[in-house]
Amino acid sequence: MHDLKVLGVICILGVTCYVMRASGYVLAASMRDDGIAARFLQLAPGNLFIAFIVGGCLSGGLAGFVGTVVALATMAITAREWAALGAGFGAALAASALGL
Amino acid sequence: MTAAGFRRGLVAALPFLLSNGAAGLVMGLTYKGLGLGAEHAILFSLLVYSATAQAITLSMWAHPLPVVAMVVACIATNSRYLLMGAHLRQLFGGLAPRKVLPTLFQLADASWLMTSSDADRNGPDAGYLLGSSIPMAIGWVGGTALAYAAPLAANEPLRLAATLLPTMFIATLLPSQWKNVRSLWPWLTSAVAALLVARFVDPSWSMLIGGGCGTLVSMMEPKDA
Repeated sequence: MHDLKVLGVICILGVTCYVMRASGYVLAASMRDDGIAARFLQLAPGNLFIAFIVGGCLSGGLAGFVGTVVALATMAITAREWAALGAGFGAALAASALGL
Repeated sequence: MTAAGFRRGLVAALPFLLSNGAAGLVMGLTYKGLGLGAEHAILFSLLVYSATAQAITLSMWAHPLPVVAMVVACIATNSRYLLMGAHLRQLFGGLAPRKVLPTLFQLADASWLMTSSDADRNGPDAGYLLGSSIPMAIGWVGGTALAYAAPLAANEPLRLAATLLPTMFIATLLPSQWKNVRSLWPWLTSAVAALLVARFVDPSWSMLIGGGCGTLVSMMEPKDA
């Protein structure tokens, strides 16, 4: 395949992705602060956190679920992210080694 | 946009050097297997900078390249960025767009989630978004480059690190998002909807649709849930 053609496609896809990233920010300028859309956006983060975690657990299988639960529990107890990540990843590796 | 926020974001996102590095490495190895040159693979990770968009366009790689279909796929899989961008406008609306728009080049799910969480604790700071984006970008692009520089092959710990560390990291932020017992129903709705969408529609839509359904339930509450 021609190098320039591949380069062109990469640039087009890069521009498309940046437009998607910037569009919401630009379009939101015309949004009312007290409107329904604004309230939706204020309430969205926590719910998106949950949906993100569920998607991640699904793609990681049972080992992923075990690791995520251990990370969450460790964070709740220690309030230290590094400890939570270490414990979670260790648990996921162990679960994976056990064939889960 | 403060230097303190930048430092806080940079330090908080350091684990992503590892997880994005592993994911970028897996992506790089796949590009390598496809016969793509190192320069193109690195440029792909640098400019597109989206695991979902890159994975989907990779699966569509053919001769000739289906450019229109790839662009449509990028728009569909990255539509969640519209919501994230609009939310960031709420946080950083007081800043000149020329200060925020360049930072959005590196906007990712995790950097947005972390910035939202930090805004709840310390107030909105665009420096945090920029700081947290840097280790993620270095990990992703560096991992892709490493696939070409080192004689490596994908293995189980690498795959697990790439898949699980971002999820686990976001899970550690979850306690900061818990408001009160009224958070329970929206969160359950988000989880069930995300599960159903991932199972029956497409995993790349689970975050947007699942989170959207939960937010609609939140809006039905008399106060913020």
